[in-house]
Amino acid sequence: MGWPMPWALTPPGAFTERFMSLLNLKKLTVGYVNPSGELIPAVNDVSFHLKKGETLGIVGESGCGKSTLARAILGYCRPGSLIMGGEVLFDGEDILQMSLSQLRDLRGQRIAMVPQNPLSSLTYHMKVGPQVDEILRIHRGMDSKAARIHTLELFAGTNLPDPEQIYDRYPHEISGGQRQRVVIAGALACQPVLMVLDEPTTALDTTTEIQVLKLVKDLRKENDMALIYITHDLTLTDYMCENVLVMLDGKVVEQGRVANIFKHPQTDYTKMLIAAIPRVDSKSGADAFLPAAGVPQPLLEVDRLKFRYGQRRSLATIFKPQEEPPAVNNVSFDLEHGETIGLVGESGSGKSTIANIICGLLTPTTGSIIFDSQPINTPAEKRSLDLRRRIQIIFQDPLSSLNPRHRIETVLTRPLKIFFGFKGQAARDRAVELLEAMELLPEHLSRFPRQLSGGQQQRVAIACAFAAKPDLILCDEVTSALDVSVQAHVLELLKVIQEKTGVACVFISHDLGVVKQVANKVIVLQKGVVAEAGPTEDVFAKPTHNYTRLLLAAALRENHDPIHDYLDSSV
Amino acid sequence: MSKKSIISVLTHSPGTTIGVALVAIHLLSALLGPLFIPYGPTELAGPSLLAPGSSGHALGTDVIGRDYLTRLVIGGRTSIFVAMLGALSAVVIGGLIGVSAAYIGGFYDDAIMRIVDTKLSIPGVLFVALCVVGFGRSIPVLTIVIAVNYMPGALRIIRSQALTQVPLDYVKSARLRGESKLAVIIRELCPNVLEVVVVEFALRTSSAILAVSALSFLGLGISPPTPDWGLMVYEGIRQIYIAPWLVLLPAFFISTLVIGLNFATDGLANALGLDAARGLY
Amino acid sequence: MLTTILRRIGLSLLILFLVSVLVFLSTEVLPGDALDVFLTADDLVTMEPEQIEALRRDFGLDKPAIWRFFQWLSGAVVGDFGVTFIDETPVSEVIWEPLLNSLLLGLVITIIAVPVALAIGSTTGYYRGRKPDAVVSSLAIIGYSIPDFVIGTLLIIFFAVWIPLFPALILVFADASVWELLKVSIMPAVTVIIGHVAHLSRLLRAGFIEAMNCEFIERARLSGVPEKRIVFRHALPAAVIPSLNSVALFIAGLLNGLIVIEKVFGYPGLGLQLIEAVDKREVHVVQAITFLGAVLVIGMNLLADLSIIILDPRVRSHKNE
Repeated sequence: MGWPMPWALTPPGAFTERFMSLLNLKKLTVGYVNPSGELIPAVNDVSFHLKKGETLGIVGESGCGKSTLARAILGYCRPGSLIMGGEVLFDGEDILQMSLSQLRDLRGQRIAMVPQNPLSSLTYHMKVGPQVDEILRIHRGMDSKAARIHTLELFAGTNLPDPEQIYDRYPHEISGGQRQRVVIAGALACQPVLMVLDEPTTALDTTTEIQVLKLVKDLRKENDMALIYITHDLTLTDYMCENVLVMLDGKVVEQGRVANIFKHPQTDYTKMLIAAIPRVDSKSGADAFLPAAGVPQPLLEVDRLKFRYGQRRSLATIFKPQEEPPAVNNVSFDLEHGETIGLVGESGSGKSTIANIICGLLTPTTGSIIFDSQPINTPAEKRSLDLRRRIQIIFQDPLSSLNPRHRIETVLTRPLKIFFGFKGQAARDRAVELLEAMELLPEHLSRFPRQLSGGQQQRVAIACAFAAKPDLILCDEVTSALDVSVQAHVLELLKVIQEKTGVACVFISHDLGVVKQVANKVIVLQKGVVAEAGPTEDVFAKPTHNYTRLLLAAALRENHDPIHDYLDSSV
Repeated sequence: MSKKSIISVLTHSPGTTIGVALVAIHLLSALLGPLFIPYGPTELAGPSLLAPGSSGHALGTDVIGRDYLTRLVIGGRTSIFVAMLGALSAVVIGGLIGVSAAYIGGFYDDAIMRIVDTKLSIPGVLFVALCVVGFGRSIPVLTIVIAVNYMPGALRIIRSQALTQVPLDYVKSARLRGESKLAVIIRELCPNVLEVVVVEFALRTSSAILAVSALSFLGLGISPPTPDWGLMVYEGIRQIYIAPWLVLLPAFFISTLVIGLNFATDGLANALGLDAARGLY
Repeated sequence: MLTTILRRIGLSLLILFLVSVLVFLSTEVLPGDALDVFLTADDLVTMEPEQIEALRRDFGLDKPAIWRFFQWLSGAVVGDFGVTFIDETPVSEVIWEPLLNSLLLGLVITIIAVPVALAIGSTTGYYRGRKPDAVVSSLAIIGYSIPDFVIGTLLIIFFAVWIPLFPALILVFADASVWELLKVSIMPAVTVIIGHVAHLSRLLRAGFIEAMNCEFIERARLSGVPEKRIVFRHALPAAVIPSLNSVALFIAGLLNGLIVIEKVFGYPGLGLQLIEAVDKREVHVVQAITFLGAVLVIGMNLLADLSIIILDPRVRSHKNE
């Protein structure tokens, strides 16, 4: 640290800033070279400061530069990018001017980072324990025995069950939540004064997420660390941090205390972000559905559906048949014409499997599905053209649902041709109608999917599904891959077109807030079994099953006792 | 792909540009050469073993007295033709089978992959030796043998690429629309393996050219008196002490063609984001 | 893991069986049989049909194909490949010494080539994109683009004609001693090494680059792990697995190279033997050499795959495939 300047020459506040700040970013700009060879700033003129022990959330949607910013704080840029200007003052020293050996000292020891995906950020060919040992041995000079003891202590500190056993495991042998705790243990190893977490829970289930977040909060308090928490989720910021910084396209759009931002957002973008969050406890949402008069039968009747994935028969299983639990276990529900039912649950709950069975990609092991009085236990190949037309499915990942080599025109006119025999100009006109219903332009017809944004691609996928004039639409996590702002727009459009056409919908999501908005009734699935079912409002307001309560609490980011019981029994 | 992007791909780096230029020169000379040569390729045009630079024979004559310039210009035609046609058949047929194996899966895929593994266990030259012993050395036979030789390798690589596409949602959507298996393979999958196919074709062509010249050198390939660079190298070895150009000139021609092809392919693969460093055998 | 290993070995045996079927079939699809291939037009004129028939019975060629196949196969697995047509010498005797000679040459090449390619590949991969990489990569491309026989012939011109350092033609016989063989193997070895090291180093480079691009390398850097340790402890083991496949590919390619090079230099190996056999239409010899070549390739691929199964922890704990 340099000598303080004479008081008279110091601008007001600078003294406090300099001496009280732990981290001080000044006009940081990081750029990357795009395929045409131009230097595009990913982080543009960003400034903020952080005091010791403070928490800051950096919020933004995909592409806003937050990950680049996170890495720049440690003085790191990915190959293909470079630091174009600014300062990163840590404890008075500019990180950007440090030598490589100084940086190596700093990283992992005084500033630590927890990256997004623990499966790919842990070295797959090394056991998990030695990877934490490594950090201790490099920075603290411990020998292997001492490092091991210390690592086991760290594991215990992050609530890992049976640290001794986990120490000797490989990353792919433990669960996602356990992996992330290992990474967190590694980050804490040298008691850094600042921890940067880059979307650490995006790859985890909701319930695991809440455990890890609570852990980080507790550890932060214990060690009195400053925290920078990067996420796309504003509500998480609310839960984790005191201060927040909102980023858009590399620039800081708004910053301040979280409570203030939520109550009085200053910029339109922040206002939009806040408004777009689907809240589980919001007043609005879909009501219970009343079947249209005169229609006796429900459109879809699922009765005691059961599905087990095929067992590989090998020498090992012939003598000891392994009983794998069914992916879908005794699920029953009805769906009226025009009604929307939500299927909620975490990964592995079987919700996608149910959708796949209904549309014919899989055949049920036992149980029946009746669609408009016809049994449809058959795979899609064996169904009639008309039946295939009437049930449509929209998938989660817009990138993989459209053929990258087909123009939008081809994508839309194909179902028109197959199901209705539309050709040539008639098909094109109808395609334009569909695009316009999704608020897209006729000129999009000649584009390729990669030339559209994620939201636009998903709208095309929806248009494609509705092109067939179906009676039932299966939405499999259709908004989960989209940014919050885009999500709201897509859901709106979906709602409008559904109301206009009277199509029934099975809406699958892990996000209860979204389900609340669109579904008349809901089924909560836990590992293939129905935990609870009923009208959405009732189930969410007064849940009767423990698991439902758990999901709701996690969605609301609350500290509920059921969570702690759940924590002790799993992961 | 637009014209502009094709040009930018071809001039991706200095190495690529040089490669493309070399290939272009060779192709032009193979196609248009016969219009400009001074003599016939098997014509006894002058005294034997004239050094290059002699009057009437810019690149000298060979042991029997045939003009070397003529032979060199013509010498590439047969190998390039056999290699390109063979590689094209290998990649197209192998590619179609590979994509179908990736999509259809099951026993069909297993069977095809066992056949592929079997063929790949036999080194190329050995395989050709077997075929030549059995079927002779005519041009059609050589082309078919080259095609069959490279088909399994191309099949395997294109199948790998297709496998990355098969689990994607757009393929599921096509199935749900009721598209026939053939329609899915041709309309949905094939366009998405095109990049790999093009790079494979380039790689196999360069391997095939090397293979054909090596075979001709060994006496298992193109038979005299058709001029072929590999054959010409073999014929020239006996005169190495007195007429080294008989060996050096055809060697230079083969090398520049393959070098050009490989530099161009490397640049092409880099521009497309693919890994060009794969097995050439 | 044991089941995976056994399954993989079983697969290799299946492939070997299919290869032998293929090798055997290659002579069956022709009109006539192996003897007809061997006999020249002259023989057909000078010999009486009864003589030809007698020869046929001698060689057991009048028995049905399936019988002959299994007889051949049962012999092949113990090294008995039948006899030559010309003087009924056991094929195994004919190919034994050349086999050893080729193995020696191949061993010399592999011992030098693999470490060199590894060093070049990982260094150019690490310095990817910068000047040394660009230069070395270009040299490598040139190296594997020039045909083996051209390199060999050029080496002969340079080192035997202009600078009389080595003999141009190897006049060593198949039963020469190891020392003599080593002396004459220098030029052929260098020829093969130039081209094949160039190619292998490119493959290894690609594998190394892939390893260095892994996310865990970034995490290690962000934790302050020194570069050297990152390369050797984190990246290199990740590069080993794709590299094993590349080395297996390299050895398969060696077989191709050896055949050509032995002809160029006259090295008394199996490749030379093969060409002679093709010339003289000794079908049994060609079959035997092809079979052995396939055994080597299948064996190498098996070793590579087994190493991966044993070394890669992700494969090791996979319960079902």
